[in-house]
Amino acid sequence: MTGLVKFVGGFAIVAAMAMSAMPLVARADDKDVIDYRENIMKSLDAQTAMLGMMASTQVEPVDLISTTRSLALIAKQAQHSFDAKVLGGEAKPEIWANYADFKKKMDDFVVKTAEMEQDAKTGGLPVVMEKMVDVLTCKGCHDAYRAKK
Amino acid sequence: MTRFLQFAAGLAFAAVATMPVAVRAEDPTDVIDYRKLVMKSLGAQAAAMNATLQGKAPAENFATHAETLALVASQALVAFTPKIEGGDSKPEVWAKWDDFSKKMKEFQAATAEFAKLAQSGGAAAAQPKLQATLTCKGCHDAYRKPRG
Repeated sequence: MTGLVKFVGGFAIVAAMAMSAMPLVARADDKDVIDYRENIMKSLDAQTAMLGMMASTQVEPVDLISTTRSLALIAKQAQHSFDAKVLGGEAKPEIWANYADFKKKMDDFVVKTAEMEQDAKTGGLPVVMEKMVDVLTCKGCHDAYRAKK
Repeated sequence: MTRFLQFAAGLAFAAVATMPVAVRAEDPTDVIDYRKLVMKSLGAQAAAMNATLQGKAPAENFATHAETLALVASQALVAFTPKIEGGDSKPEVWAKWDDFSKKMKEFQAATAEFAKLAQSGGAAAAQPKLQATLTCKGCHDAYRKPRG
């Protein structure tokens, strides 16, 4: 019995030493992870709405290039923001239950927003408008993976 | 007379061509909504970038946040150019347009410089300039209505 106690005690010491040797980096807690992905989604939503206002001629398309570039960058930020399985916010558990499908949709979104950025440069608003329904497939993903507000 | 008309037309064209680019919309509500969206993007991207610097979010996203902020900063001045009061904007935005637009141009230049540093030297190069770049509060105190 004493041997077992010694073994457990020794194991605890080794474990404690291993932990103390771990690099001292700030680590995100669950709330940080959720806050971060919500900020990304907020900016994605806002820049998409701006593009929508240009497309519906509510405002002149003076920010077309910067908006499409922003969307391509924010899509990249979103791509890995859900890698950590942290439930909460508006994310449905299905994200991680069907992660291969979710990830594929995110990867497609990154590719398509990058193409739309090029379209904006070469063809302007008319070409962006032709393709934006196929690029900004927000609803398809939200229906499957976002909890209703 | 014809010459005079041609001259006048030319002058009018030149005046229009040299006007600053602005977001123009028929409906004032659209202008207000649009600038709210710009500010929402700015707030969200600034918060996200800070999280990457504090180890609360992936550090590899830092430079893309910096670039996005620079892009959105360029949208911000354009968004406030039409004098349409409303939303969270104080009337001082347009009453003191010289000061406001100067601050916005400085913000645009500072975020562009910050994005370059982030791209070339990462957080180590850019972070010392963070406070001088994100001067949100200075402008909000003077030009944004207090939030209840």
